[in-house]
Formats: sequence, structure tokens, C-alpha cells
Amino acid sequence: MSGPPPAIAVRSLSKNFGRFPAVRDISFDVGREEIVGFLGPNGAGKTTTIKMITGLLKITSGTVWIDGLDSREHPAAIKRKLGYMSQKFSLYPLLTALENIEFFGGISGLAPAQVRRQAARLQEEVSPVILRQKVQDIPPGIRQKVALFVCLLPGPEIILLDEPTSGVDPEARRRFWGEIYGLKTGGKTLLVSTHNLDEAEYCDRILIIHNGVIVAEGEPGELLRIRKQATIEDLFQAAIRDHGQD
Amino acid sequence: MGRIKAIIVKEFLHILRDPRSLTIVFAIPLIMIFILGYSISYDLNRVDAALVDLSQGRLSRQLGRAFAASPFFVVRMRSEDGRGALSLAQAEDLLRRGRVREIIVIPADFARRLSATGRSEIGLVIDGSDVNVANLVYQYGERVLMDFIAAMTGAGQVLRIGTKVHFNPEARSQFFFIPGLVAVILLMISAMLTSLSVARERETGSIALLFISPLRSREIVVGKTIPYILVALLDGAFILLFARFWFGIPLRGSLLVLLVFALLYIVSGLSLGILISTSAPTQRVAMLATMLSTLLPSILLSGFIFPLDSLAPVLRAISYVIPATYFLRIIRGVVLKGAELRHFLFEGGMLIGLSLLLLAVASRKFNRQRKAAQ
Repeated sequence: MSGPPPAIAVRSLSKNFGRFPAVRDISFDVGREEIVGFLGPNGAGKTTTIKMITGLLKITSGTVWIDGLDSREHPAAIKRKLGYMSQKFSLYPLLTALENIEFFGGISGLAPAQVRRQAARLQEEVSPVILRQKVQDIPPGIRQKVALFVCLLPGPEIILLDEPTSGVDPEARRRFWGEIYGLKTGGKTLLVSTHNLDEAEYCDRILIIHNGVIVAEGEPGELLRIRKQATIEDLFQAAIRDHGQD
Repeated sequence: MGRIKAIIVKEFLHILRDPRSLTIVFAIPLIMIFILGYSISYDLNRVDAALVDLSQGRLSRQLGRAFAASPFFVVRMRSEDGRGALSLAQAEDLLRRGRVREIIVIPADFARRLSATGRSEIGLVIDGSDVNVANLVYQYGERVLMDFIAAMTGAGQVLRIGTKVHFNPEARSQFFFIPGLVAVILLMISAMLTSLSVARERETGSIALLFISPLRSREIVVGKTIPYILVALLDGAFILLFARFWFGIPLRGSLLVLLVFALLYIVSGLSLGILISTSAPTQRVAMLATMLSTLLPSILLSGFIFPLDSLAPVLRAISYVIPATYFLRIIRGVVLKGAELRHFLFEGGMLIGLSLLLLAVASRKFNRQRKAAQ
């Protein structure tokens, strides 16, 4: 008897930009209530893959299933399941944090009272004064927190975070990963891309992507043990080297 | 409706807080109407002319004085060193150098032939390098000569042409051009507002969040259009008031009638902007594409400068799908002639048709672009 389908199932996924193959025939699963780290340098294909999963980028070939639904056949149903936080946070800089929250809540179909109730939760953590400032004037760490909050507003089950920790200080990064852990324990599934290799330690499993190809996949500790490497950085270098020799 | 309202509120907040949006809305129209209002004109004031009097008689001097006294010409009769009368060769040299636009040549036998035969000839040599100017110079010259002949022969007592110029009695070309400018600017600004708004979302990446939200494409298009209708209407009123009080352009018709048609016209411009934005990856490209696709056709092919009758058949066909073609007739009619709503039912119908067509095409293209990603 087979269990429930994985939260995300990617099979033979490829993306070409003209003649340039940005993602080449990758396959992986993200299990339910799992944090999967999507590691790789800039330009490795992380954002392209995430955008294909969200439906923001057309798939050249291959398939993406979200909670057992084919992304091409059920785009509307999949939208309700997914939350996405882009690399640039994509908040409106001239609107205050609260106005951003009200806007994204509004377009998600949430009633204003519901949005206000949710925003009150954020105000317990972040000063209301800061939330009433324009996004362009608030620190990156808070901006990141607001962007995550906005992403979670419609209550998605599966959350895709594209480089959420880029441009924020180490302390904010550490706090952010704490929040990601909290989401996991709350039943959410997370795929988190990053080029900070040290963030692998926060993940249940990692996928290392290089030049559009997944070169290593597994639980971080186990990967280190199998590949006989001391650090994720070493593991990353070894995986790239080994892949180049294939 | 709640989702559209969220977009409307967001767009309003953005317009109010973005200095660039405010510059587009108020400063660009002001600069354009100020510069173009003074630079585009058919009026010629005090044209430089050379008078070569080969006759040097009483009658020819009278004619020379008639030209000099007219409000149209500044007449030069002496050579450049001031020592003698201007020769034909010297006058031709002045014409070639662009110092004069016209040479009036009074032949040596002018008075003798007139008294002997009752007929004589006067030569007008006109600089034809600028056809519009040449036509005006010819008309001005002819008018001075007609007045001179009438005074001399008393013909004016027998036959007078009673001319009454309606709507623009002083024949000021600003009265013709400035309402047209309002139409041209309004289309450009309307299209620019939406094209920049969508391109900005694309540049900052926020469009991705709109695309993966439950919003329908038509909700995005409608939500982005409604606030800019109000902004563009405000802008239109602002430009019109400036035209009224700075250039003295009259408003003889109903402001309400103009408002109704302006609303339709603005929707066509905003839809055009969204259509442009679907192909513009950045705000800079959007701005350039909007300027090209609104200014060029509405200046050259709408009847703003050149009458539609003078266009080649292909260009005339294109003019039928330019919203400015219809709004120009309306605004000139309402502003200058006091025309009413019933006079522009065809133009209004065409504006409704074009607005709906552009809105539908823009929504469809926007939706296709969104779906192409999926």
C-alpha cells in the first residue's frame, strides 16, 4: 500500500533559455513536513527550478507534481497550496509594511478583519512603529520577516523560499532559520534555496545543484559521512569535482 | 471585488508617494504644452521681404509703402551698405542666404504699362524650401497687393468680400493646436501611467507574487486601470486649465461633455499602456515604447498637424484606429465651437469600440503571458 504523495515531486525537469540549458534533467522529491535545502552558487539553476515549480516559468521538459497534482493540469489548485518568497522579497518599497500586508492579504481574498488579526501577531514580534514605516526604510532583517509573513498569509502548505537569507546579517539569518523550524513543526513543507553552504546544517535534506544539474542529494550528516568530507564546503567542492569527472 | 479594491488602494498609495509618477502626471504635460504650445504654429509674424523697385516712380513707391505698412512684412528696399536701392542680384543673394523669404519685384515699366494698357505685372519670388511658409508668404503678399489695387482703382467700392471667420476670428493657430496638444499629451500620459506601473512590477519582481496569487488577469488589468482613470482625468483637467489660463484657449462647450469623452479616451490610453507593458521588460523600455507608439501616430496621423485628407490611403486607414483621431475632433469641437454630445456620436462610438478592443487585447495578452509561464 503506497503512502501519500510527496509534497513536491520533480521528474526530469529541464529549462532552456534559447540554446542555454539552465536546468538539465533534474529529479527530486520533497517529503511532507520536511525542510529541504537547495544549495548552489549563483547561476546554478536554483531560482529557475523554483520558478518552474511555482509556475512562474514555463517548463521546457519534465514534470512537477505538487501534492500529487500535475502542475500543468491543476495550476489553480496548486496556487492555493504554494507559498513563494522571492529572492528580492518583492515587497512594495513605497508602501509601509502594514500596507504591504493588507495588500497581499486583500489579493489573496482574505477579509480585512482577518488580515488585521494576522498582522497583530506580527506586531507582537516587530514594533508597530517599524511596521508603519515604508518598506524601503526598514532594515533588511525586518523586511525579510515581513516578506515571509506575507508569503504565509493565505496559509499555504508548501513554502518555497528563494534565497531568503541573502543580504541579511548572521544574527537575522539565525533567527530566520528558527522561524523556518517553527513552520516545519507547524506542519509546513519547505524548499529553501541558498548559496550560503553553512545553512545546510538547518536542513533535513539538501540538494546541491551546479550548472543546472543536481550533483549531490541527501541528509547532510550522511552525505558528509559517505563522501568522507569534514564540512559542507568540502562536500560541495568534492561533489562538483566528482560530477565533472563523470 | 475585494481583490480589485486591494490593487486600487495600492496603486493610489504608490502614485501619491512616488515622485516619478507625480512628475509624469504633472510636470511632463506642463513642459510639453509649454514648449509645443509656443513652437508649433502656422502663424508667421513680420516676414522679412526684399523689395526691388526697378521702376522708381510714384506708383511703385506707393506700392513699396503699402508692403512696408502691412503687419505681415518687414520690407528691405536698400542695399546692405545702405548706399542705394536694392538690386535684383542683391535681393536674390538675400533670399539664398535665408535673410528674406520673399522678393517683390516691381518692373521698370510698371507705371507706364499700367497707364497705357490698364494692366501691369508685379513679380513675387518666394523661398519655396519650406512649403508651408511659402504658401503663407504668397497669401500675405497677395492680400497686400489686392488691398493696394482696390485702393488704387476704387474696386473695393464695387465689390467687397464679406468674410467672417467663425470660432477663431483672429485665426490664431494656437487655438487649433493647443486643444490638439491636450489630446496628444493625455493619450501619452495615460498609456505611460499603466505601462510603467506594470513594467515596475516586473522590474522589482512583485509581478511574480501577483501571478501566483489567486488574482485573475482581468482583475489585475481592471485594478490597475481604475485608479489611473481618475489620475488621468485630473491630469486632463489640469492641462486644459493651463491651456485656458496661460494660452487663453476658450472653452465654449460643456466641460461635462468633454469629461464623458475624455473618460473613454483615457481608457483607450490606459489599455494601450498595459498592452505595451506586456512586451516591455523594464520601465525604460516601457517609457520609450509608449512615447513612440502614442506620440508619433497621434501627432502625424490623427489630424493634429496634417489634415487626414492629405494622408496616403494606407496611412489614412491607420488613422482610423488611433484614438487621438476621434478625440481631437471632439476636443476641438467642444472647446472651440461649443459643440454638443450629439455632434460626436460617431466619434464617441469609435472611442468606445477602440477602448473595449484595446482593453480586451491587453487583458488577453496579459493573460497569455501569465499562462505561458505555466
